[in-house]
Amino acid sequence: MENDTVTLAEAATLAIDLSLLTLLFLVAYQMLKSRHLFAVVMLSGIYSLLSALFFVSLDAVDVAFTEAAVGAGISTVLMLAGMLLTARREKPLMPGRAPVAILVVFLVGAALMYATLDMPAFGDATAPANAYVGLQYIERTPNEIAVPNIVTAVLASYRGFDTLGETMVIFTAGVAVMLLLGAGSIKGGRQVKDVSDDGEAQQ
Amino acid sequence: MIFAVAAAAVIIAMLLALVRAFAGPTLYDRVLAGNSFGTKTVILIGVMGYLTGRPDFLDIAVLYALINFATIIAILKFFRYRTLSVSMDNRDQPVFDEEAR
Amino acid sequence: MWDLIRDILSWALILIGSAALVIGAIGLVRFPDFYTRMHAAGVTDTAGAELIVFGLMLQAPSWIVVAKLAFISFFLFLTSPVATHAVAHAAWVVGVRPMLGPDLKREGDD
Repeated sequence: MENDTVTLAEAATLAIDLSLLTLLFLVAYQMLKSRHLFAVVMLSGIYSLLSALFFVSLDAVDVAFTEAAVGAGISTVLMLAGMLLTARREKPLMPGRAPVAILVVFLVGAALMYATLDMPAFGDATAPANAYVGLQYIERTPNEIAVPNIVTAVLASYRGFDTLGETMVIFTAGVAVMLLLGAGSIKGGRQVKDVSDDGEAQQ
Repeated sequence: MIFAVAAAAVIIAMLLALVRAFAGPTLYDRVLAGNSFGTKTVILIGVMGYLTGRPDFLDIAVLYALINFATIIAILKFFRYRTLSVSMDNRDQPVFDEEAR
Repeated sequence: MWDLIRDILSWALILIGSAALVIGAIGLVRFPDFYTRMHAAGVTDTAGAELIVFGLMLQAPSWIVVAKLAFISFFLFLTSPVATHAVAHAAWVVGVRPMLGPDLKREGDD
């Protein structure tokens, strides 16, 4: 009975992973096919949610936090703000075929997949990524930093300057996006109006 | 065992909500499908935490429940007022998006 | 004895909650009009989510998990109906009207 419940949980996790990947594929296909831009924005929010679920399934809790907060929250609203400044429908594509392009894409994809056969197994303790500095972090964190989460210790203490640089980058990007979307005016929001007849831009 | 059944039911419900998000004729159908999908994601994170024996994933579920609500309200506010900073004196005249149907 | 009661109760709650979610999602696909779909999605989302969270609470391994689940359930209970109302109000203000009376058409009618 004990053996049965363990394999049932593993089978259920595998089934959940496969269904999440299938849903991701369906959402991505519909995003490419749809010409209605608001639908694409909502679907990109749903895509970020599915990615966050997949990260939870892979035990990467911190990445799932970031993906849920940034991808499904802020990104959706910012893309919506950008979309409201332009049009509602995308122009239809010209029908045309590019066989060379598709061939190149297939060849590069096949080469990459062939290269992944040489990679070490997932979570292998002797892999180079986990053996040298990673092992040092795992061994030294309880004594030196004493924070239970090793990822937090690496981000905030061992590689603190890196985090400082990232914070500056994200702040600059946020300010730039806000200015582009028109939050810099006093009344808030930019009225998208045309130039009037006598050539002066109206406010 | 029951967690596997609950996870399967939530994934089927997510697939059906996706069908509505693909095919909704008005954009409010799509907003509704997105909101519904977000609530089901919260439930699925909780159930997946129990399924793998680590209920500590509930932190993400708490975070996502908060973000889902704020995002849906922000999207609707954008479609009504076309800006996120609405001053209190012209709040009665909504500048809604006529092409939004 | 208490374990058996707890297991049966939590299984029943999770099963009913999952059934509510699936039925609501079927309604979201098949109903003919935006307001009826919203009725299906809004009511069953909140009810199904709350029932599943209560079922999970009964099977929790420690008190901190119960506290987190209680917070999720409280927050969903307050904000899911508010979000549903906000979507309905936004659609009403723009001019989406329900299908009533002689307008009621289904696919296949003509």
